[in-house]
Amino acid sequence: MKTLTQIPLGAQLLFGKAAKRRRQIERSIFSVFDRWDYDEIIPPIFDYYDVFAKGMGAAFEDTLYRFIDREGNILALRPEFTSLVAKSVATRLADHTKPLRLCYCGEVLRYEAPRGGRQREFFQIGLEHIGGEHIRSDAEVIRIAIECLRKLGIRKFQINLGEMGYFAGIVERMNVPHDDLARIKTRVDLKDTVGLRLELDRLDLSEKRRNILLSLVHLTGNADTLRTARQLVTNERSLQALDRLEALFIELKKHKVEDHLTIDLSEVRGQDYYTGTIFKIYVPGLGFEIGGGGRYDNLFRNFGCDFPSVGFSFSLERLMAMGES
Amino acid sequence: MKETITIALSKGRLLDEALELLREAGVEVADSNLNSRKLVVADTKKRFQFFMVKPIDVPTYVEYGVADAGIAGRDVLAESNADVHQPLDLKIGFCKMVVAAPRETARQDYKELSAVRIATKYPRITTEYFTHRGIPVEIIPLSGSVELAPLLGLSDRIVDLVSSGRTLAENGLEVVEPIMDVSARLVVNRASYQIKRLAITRLVEMLSKAVEKR
Repeated sequence: MKTLTQIPLGAQLLFGKAAKRRRQIERSIFSVFDRWDYDEIIPPIFDYYDVFAKGMGAAFEDTLYRFIDREGNILALRPEFTSLVAKSVATRLADHTKPLRLCYCGEVLRYEAPRGGRQREFFQIGLEHIGGEHIRSDAEVIRIAIECLRKLGIRKFQINLGEMGYFAGIVERMNVPHDDLARIKTRVDLKDTVGLRLELDRLDLSEKRRNILLSLVHLTGNADTLRTARQLVTNERSLQALDRLEALFIELKKHKVEDHLTIDLSEVRGQDYYTGTIFKIYVPGLGFEIGGGGRYDNLFRNFGCDFPSVGFSFSLERLMAMGES
Repeated sequence: MKETITIALSKGRLLDEALELLREAGVEVADSNLNSRKLVVADTKKRFQFFMVKPIDVPTYVEYGVADAGIAGRDVLAESNADVHQPLDLKIGFCKMVVAAPRETARQDYKELSAVRIATKYPRITTEYFTHRGIPVEIIPLSGSVELAPLLGLSDRIVDLVSSGRTLAENGLEVVEPIMDVSARLVVNRASYQIKRLAITRLVEMLSKAVEKR
């Protein structure tokens, strides 16, 4: 039987040096999490399908491993941790003093082509800072991410900061159908001005709105970018997003990490649940981000609570790939 | 601070045009270098390194960060579905991706065919194009001489690139409908875009000026 001798595409097996290295990385990162007073949470590997589908958004639905239990409920294997941690907190830890600091580590599963050092089963290590509205919470998780990198001996890295609210504010009043909006988002994210122009041509938009969206693609660089971004918009939501991003930048500057920061307002991709700060971490020599995170102020509403939160995770596979190179 | 940028170029049709545009942008690769058997060549000022690969592979090299940037046609970008930044249309390598069929059947409506059989080098683009229109399609993936397929009865139609249309005409084929306009794009790896931001920004500026000047 081939099922006994072959492995399914995307399955992962670690042994020897690789297994050792992975545990070392886990321990190093957990020691940092511990120092910042984050407690581990070990959530189940499966839950109801809706828990994940609602949080991650339509774009990710296809990547879920779904199955049906004997009562006919649709279940799914976890494709990420944030939704699961949020649900656990809402059901079991809602009365706990906030902010609640939780961290996790384990495998997640996504039905997609193995790519960028990631199999269908891969490992994430990360944390959630729950019930912290202030920008200091965002700064805290980014500082922890930086401390983890340093602890692992990674000196050269770049953290790309964006704000979902800026883009949301721009498109909010344009009344663009959902599908078109998704396509616009993709083009902005790819910095594809040609493709973006084609998408915008198909819509009936004012010259001014067109130009804002086309300029958005180039809003990347140092702190000066914030000034340029401010001149482009008049809507309250985008301006507030810039205020928050600026405050975050200043807060991080106090800790002398600004050399590692870039601002990129065309950074609009990520899980559907992100509402504010969003960030991705890059290192030289690796083509893919090694980690990232962001603020998700509305996710808890799916579970009947209202806790503004922020979190991040590292891809353990990609951290391991760094050790090799 | 000097950072070398590695650029993947497409072999074949696009190479000469790409090198000429780079030259106009102030990036010169010595002929002796180009004609040598070296796999990786540098420009005369040693700011860039180049390597040449098959067009369809350029997006992959860039996505994985082996090359910081690359020059690739919109056709291969769409086909590979690579996750890379695409900041610039270089306005070279113009052509069209089309559906073509033998002259006798080119005007036939899709309704008359229960499922269209299409030979192509672009299975992903073709599948997406037809399924989005609700037309059942059977893809025959080929890696070259696609025009032959309908002549020999392998397929009803083809999806391929045309520039002058001569090859099609010579094989008794004509365009049924266009799928997309194709030109070459500058593509950039996501991590390189952030890590080597200054050098990448400069490259984009140099090339966009050269494109505008034409």
